[in-house]
Formats: sequence, structure tokens, C-alpha cells
Amino acid sequence: MAGEKKYKAPNKATVAEMRALFIDPVPDERKVDEALKHLKYLVEKYRPLMLAMESCTKCGHCAENCHTYLGTRDPNNIPTNRADLFRKAWKAAYTLEGKLFGKLVGAEPLSLDTIEKMYSYFYQCNECRRCAMVCPFGIDTCEVTFAGRQLLHWLGMVPKLQAQVGAAMYRTGNHTGLPKPGLVDTCEFLEEEMLEETGVEIKIPIDKPNSDVLYIPSSADFLLNPNTMMGAAKFFHYLGVNWTMSSEIAEAGNFGLLFDQRYTMRHNIMRLLNEAVKLGVKKIVWGECGHGWRTGKMYVPSMADRPIPVPIVHLHDEVSYYIRTGQLKLNPEVNSNPTTLHDPCNFVRACNMADTLREVITAVTTDFREMTPNRERNFCCGGGSAILYDEPEMYDLRIKFSAKKAEQVRATGVGEHGEGYLVAPCSICKAQLYPMVEEHQLGVEVKGLIDLVGTALYPPIKKND
Amino acid sequence: MPFIEVNGQQIEVDEDGFLVNTDQWSEEAAKVFAKQEGIDELTEDHWKVINYLRDYFFQFGIAPMIRKLCKETGFSLKQIYQLFPSGPAKGACKIAGLPKPTGCV
Repeated sequence: MAGEKKYKAPNKATVAEMRALFIDPVPDERKVDEALKHLKYLVEKYRPLMLAMESCTKCGHCAENCHTYLGTRDPNNIPTNRADLFRKAWKAAYTLEGKLFGKLVGAEPLSLDTIEKMYSYFYQCNECRRCAMVCPFGIDTCEVTFAGRQLLHWLGMVPKLQAQVGAAMYRTGNHTGLPKPGLVDTCEFLEEEMLEETGVEIKIPIDKPNSDVLYIPSSADFLLNPNTMMGAAKFFHYLGVNWTMSSEIAEAGNFGLLFDQRYTMRHNIMRLLNEAVKLGVKKIVWGECGHGWRTGKMYVPSMADRPIPVPIVHLHDEVSYYIRTGQLKLNPEVNSNPTTLHDPCNFVRACNMADTLREVITAVTTDFREMTPNRERNFCCGGGSAILYDEPEMYDLRIKFSAKKAEQVRATGVGEHGEGYLVAPCSICKAQLYPMVEEHQLGVEVKGLIDLVGTALYPPIKKND
Repeated sequence: MPFIEVNGQQIEVDEDGFLVNTDQWSEEAAKVFAKQEGIDELTEDHWKVINYLRDYFFQFGIAPMIRKLCKETGFSLKQIYQLFPSGPAKGACKIAGLPKPTGCV
């Protein structure tokens, strides 16, 4: 199975795993033809992609702005070169100058080898859009990666991780594959934890009828991020919000954005909207998940099959609203450790959330130090778009992709005495940073932002006796 | 498909080395997985974690939250890592014959 691999790449989903996503993998002998058909369809349909095919002048601005290139110095990780995987094939097959002058104008006929190279390098892109921010022509290379992964999906080439998550979502309504008994048991466990801590019964409801708010957490919060789940529960409890989660969709993420922006993304969106109507809630509140919120904010309206039934807001927009209106009092003194904020790319470069995050973090900590650069200029954690692979050569790439982030954290000095907090309000960032802060020995603990809100509530939730 | 050999029998595993069919697990299989993970001998402490994971999995259909695993077995996360160097999800779950956890983990 291992064999000689020319390109570093995550393990691919098996035929059975692809069939679970309703895709029959295309055999090698038909792959090039099929890929060219998909390429034409995608480029002609999506204007940003056409722009990327036709407008790049190779000015090189994107290179020094991409942390995957900075971390590996692999020229294939320069965003414009990544896009060339598409561009060269497009020019060779579908442009007059490409047909006439070939390589002279950057055209190169598509081959099976290029398709394998696409699989490698489109899954080495974090889809962070820092290159898009600096491109003088407004080319969004992330759109090329999106299209590249879509094409690969249609060919039946999806990493195991993304494919298994997609299948778990169809099966259970969450990425982690938690069936209802697992969800309920975890919530009860965390309720007991909070009861022990505060003496107060703070509920984490699942499928509670007559609720006003449907909260969708990242399902990783059930396995890996207990303080994020408890932080949200404490926040709702403090404000007296009548909320619930749903066993039908206990998931803020939408991996459709990351490998299949058609059926998978739309299916997940409709699953959420259907459930909101079934439960009769008045509002959907989105948890700490970067790519998921990008889907929620940017794609739900255009992908939904009918008008959106209820407002959809992000948890931290709620927190900042309640701070501003004086309904939420916070005591930052309880979080006095040196703290820095990792801006999740999807929050700050896709959803305009930089100010909101700062409003919240400065209200709950006393020693907040900005990274440089920050906000929309921040660098990705290196896990973006869930390239959280743990095969040794891929894991090694994750360390390299996070080198820039490590440098940024170190420069803030928060971890100098080993007691810093690195706040990362996104599950993919958390999953990437938990091991990476150890690999780079940063002296910080990774936290969610709502975790700190939960501890800073004032007066604290405590039983009076 | 890759496999491991337990008592002369071949048992199918996936590319990450996790058991494909949880029912094919046995204590002997656990020992084979442990060797792959660089654990020479499974001690009583290892078994405490493995048995808890298996019991939980069969009751709730999923691995437990890591915090619950620590609380119920009495081990800190650091101790779990000492017992299972690749960690609770990728080390302990594999030895216990559970599927590899998916998602942002």
C-alpha cells in the first residue's frame, strides 16, 4: 500500500468510503478526460476562478505572504504556482494561445501526474486567503483550491479525514460521529462537572422542546474542548437564555466548504435549517468554528433551498452585544495570565469579526497582548481547512506550516514563564495548536474564547449558602 | 488491505492501523497493537484505560470525552500520555480496538 509516493499527500479515502459520499471513483484511464470536463465547467461557471486563470502576472506578491511557502520553501506552495496546476491545464485545453504556443504561454496538457500533484498541493493549502488579501489583481487563490478540491472530489480523490467526516455527518449529524446516547452522556458529565464547581445546576440541553435558541457547537467540543462547551453553557445560564442543542445537528462545522461545495455543503445547511423549523426556535447561535461560521454567514443564504427561517448569529457577536448593552458583566481579574489571540482566518478574513473578538477578549483578561501582524493580516495556524493529518510526513508539514504562527506567539512574550494563554476560538485551530504549542515549546495553554467568558462572568455563578 | 497477525490469524486494519471490525478485538490483538505503539508490556494501568474505553464505546457508541476518561480512570492527561505515548485518541483507542476518532481532533 505505501509504495513510492512522488508527492507528499494524505491517505486517500477508499472506494467504499467514497461511495459513502455517493461518489464512484473514476478509474485512472478516464481521469484526465473527466477532469478536463470538470475544469471547463468550473472555470466557466465561477468568475473568481476565470479571473485567477486569466489575470495573474506572476508578480510574486503572494509568495512571501503564504505561511505554507514560508514554512517549507517549496516553490509549489507559492499560491500562484498552486493555481498553475489549474491554469496550465486550462490554457492548454481551452485557450487559443495555449493551443498554438504551448509552454511559451504557460500551457501544459493535463496528465495523471498533474492530477496527483493537485491532490498533494491543494491539500497543502490552508485556504486562509492571506494571498487573496495582498493580490493586486484581486485573485483569490483560495477559490482555486476550492475548485481544485471539488474537481478531485468528483474524481473520487478525497483525504480519508475529510471523507470520514463527511460520512459521519450524513450518519449522525456531527463530524465526530457522536450518536445521541454519546451526546447526552457527555452533556450530563459536564453538567456534573459544573455542579461540582459552582453548586448550581447549569443545564446543557439536547433536543429540548420549546426552546428559543438553537446552539450549534463544534462537535470537537464534546471530545476535546470541555471548557468551550461549559463556557457557552455558563454564558446562556447567566443570561437566562432558553436554549438547546440538537442531536440532529450538533455541529458548527461544514466540511462541504472544504471538499464538496455542492451536495455536502448544501446538505449540511439544509439539515440545520430543517431542524430549526422542526424545533421552532427563534434564533440559531453558532459556536467556535471558523470555517463553519464562514459557511453560516456567507454561504447559507445562497445555498439554501428556501428563505432563511430565523436569524443566524455568532456566539461572540452575542457576547459582545450583551457586553455593550450592559446585560453581561465580566470580571477580567480572574484571567490574569499573559494572553494572546490567534485570529482564526475565517473569522477575520472572511467574516469581519476582528473587532468583536477584541471587544470580548479585553473584557475577560487583564494582560492581553496582540500578535504582530494581527487581525486580517494574521497568519494561519497551519491547520486551516482541516489538514490535520497525522501520517508522519504530513504531520511534519503541519509543524512547518505552523512555524510562522510559533514565531508570532513567541514574539508576544506571553509564554516566557510557561503560563501564557493562546486563545484560538476555532476547533480546527485548537486541534492544530494543541500539539503545535508543544512541538514549538511555546509555554502557552490553548484556550477557547468563550472558555474565558465562562470563568469571568460577574457575579460568578455560585450557590448562595 | 493491511492486516495484523494475532495468534497466526490475520486481522484487517485500516491504513492508520486501526481495527476495521471492532468485534475482532481480543486481548492478544491489544498486545500486538501495543507493540506497534512502542509499549512492551500492558500493565494493570493500561488495562484500566483500555477496558474503560471499550465499556464506554459499547454503551454509548463513541469514545468518551478525554476529560471524562481522565476522571473515571483517575489518571491525569499527562499520565495517559505516559501510558500511551501517541495519546488517548490515536494510541489508547487503537489498542482498545475502537475506530479512529474523526473530526477536528
